[in-house]
Amino acid sequence: MDNSNPEDNGSAPELEPMAMVTLDAGRMLMEAGASATSINEIVNKVAHGLGAERVDLRIGYASMAITVGIGHAGITRMRRVGHLGVNQQLDLELRCLADRVADGQLTTEQTRSELTRIATTTPRHSAWVMAVAVGLACAAFGRLLGVDWLGTGPVFLAATIGQFARRELLTRHVNVFIAATLVAFLSSLLAGLGARWLGCTTLTTAMIASILLLVPGVPSVNAQSDILDGHPTLGSARSVSVAVTLIFVAAGLWLSQVLFANWH
Amino acid sequence: MTLHFLIHQTICGAIAAAGFGVLFNVGFRSLPWCAASGALALAVRTYCLGLGWNLEGASFAAALTVGAAVQVLRARTKISQNALDVVGCIPMVPGSFAAKAILSLFALTSVETVNATETLVTAMQYTLRVMFTIGAIGTGLAIPTLLLRVRVTR
Repeated sequence: MDNSNPEDNGSAPELEPMAMVTLDAGRMLMEAGASATSINEIVNKVAHGLGAERVDLRIGYASMAITVGIGHAGITRMRRVGHLGVNQQLDLELRCLADRVADGQLTTEQTRSELTRIATTTPRHSAWVMAVAVGLACAAFGRLLGVDWLGTGPVFLAATIGQFARRELLTRHVNVFIAATLVAFLSSLLAGLGARWLGCTTLTTAMIASILLLVPGVPSVNAQSDILDGHPTLGSARSVSVAVTLIFVAAGLWLSQVLFANWH
Repeated sequence: MTLHFLIHQTICGAIAAAGFGVLFNVGFRSLPWCAASGALALAVRTYCLGLGWNLEGASFAAALTVGAAVQVLRARTKISQNALDVVGCIPMVPGSFAAKAILSLFALTSVETVNATETLVTAMQYTLRVMFTIGAIGTGLAIPTLLLRVRVTR
C-alpha cells in the first residue's frame, strides 16, 4: 500500500474543522466569482497554513469537495456552493485572509471567525450607485455599438431601472433566469420607447445596448480559463449556464420587440 | 480611423469597464485601474480594427495586451489580477452579437419564416463570431498568466 496517500479515516480530530473551514473559504471564493485556479491556489494556501500536509480539492459548479491529510490520517468533506455572483471586495478580503493564514498568524477557529466577519461586514456599493454605474456602462456600450447620441439617454435610463429591477427580483429570490427575462423585457422596452420618442435612428441597437447588463461576461471568461487550466467539467458547466442565461435574456428582448412592433 | 474615433472608443471602454467594476463590487479606489484596463482594451482593439483586422483578431490582441499589462502592474493595484483583466475585457464581450444570434434562431422557428436560408446563415455567422471572440478574449488573457506561471514554477 502506498503510504504517501492519506487514508479517509478521519482519525486525527483536528482534520474535521480544518477541512470545513478550508472548504468555506473555497465556497466563498467560488460565490465571489473566482476562477478554479485561483480557488485551488488559495484553498491550498489556507489548508497548508492550518497545518495540512496534503490537500486535494475538487471544484464543481454546485459543490466542492476536499481531502486533507496529516501523516497517515485523512478526511474528505463536501459542501454545497450557492449562487455564483461577482464580488471583488470579498475576493480581495479572502486573499488577504489566506496570506495571513499561510503566515501562521491564525488558528482554525480564528480563521472561521474571520470568514464569518468577512462574509457579514464586507461592504457593497449602494443600490443607487450600482444602478447609475450600470446605466452609464450600458450607455457607453451603446456608443461602442453605434447607438446615436439621441439613443444614449434612454439606454442609460432603461439600464438603470433594469438594474434596480434585477436587484429587487433577486432579493425576492426570483429564479435568476426568469429574472433575466423580465429585466431584459423591461429594459429593452423602456429603451425602445424612449429612443423612438426622441427620434433615435438606431432603435434596435439601443434596445440591445440596454440589456447588456445581463450578459454574463465574467462567467464566460472564467469558463474558458477554467478549461485552459485543466478544469473542463467546471468550465463546461459555466458555459452551459452562460448559454442558458443568454437564451432567457434574448427571450425578454424578443418579447419586447414583438410588443413594440405590434404597438406601432 | 480618425484620432477622434479612437479617443471616443477608448473613453467609452473606460466608462463601461468602470461601470461594470461597480457592479462587481470593486472598491472605489480601484475603479481607476478598471477604467484604465477597459480603455487600454478598447484602444488596442479599435487600432487593430483600423488596420483591417477582423473582430476576433483585434479582440485577441487587446486581451493579450491587457493581460500582459495587468501582469506587469499587479504589484501596484489593490485588486486581484484575475478581476482587473476580466473587467477590462468586459466591454469587448460580444453581448449584442449573442442576442442577435439567438433572435435569428427564434425567427427561424416562427410559423411564417421569411428567407429561412438567409436567416440561418445570419444566425450561424453571429453565433460563430460570439464563440470565436469569447475564445479570443479568454485565450488572450490566459497566455500571459500561463507564461508567468511557467516562469515562477521554474
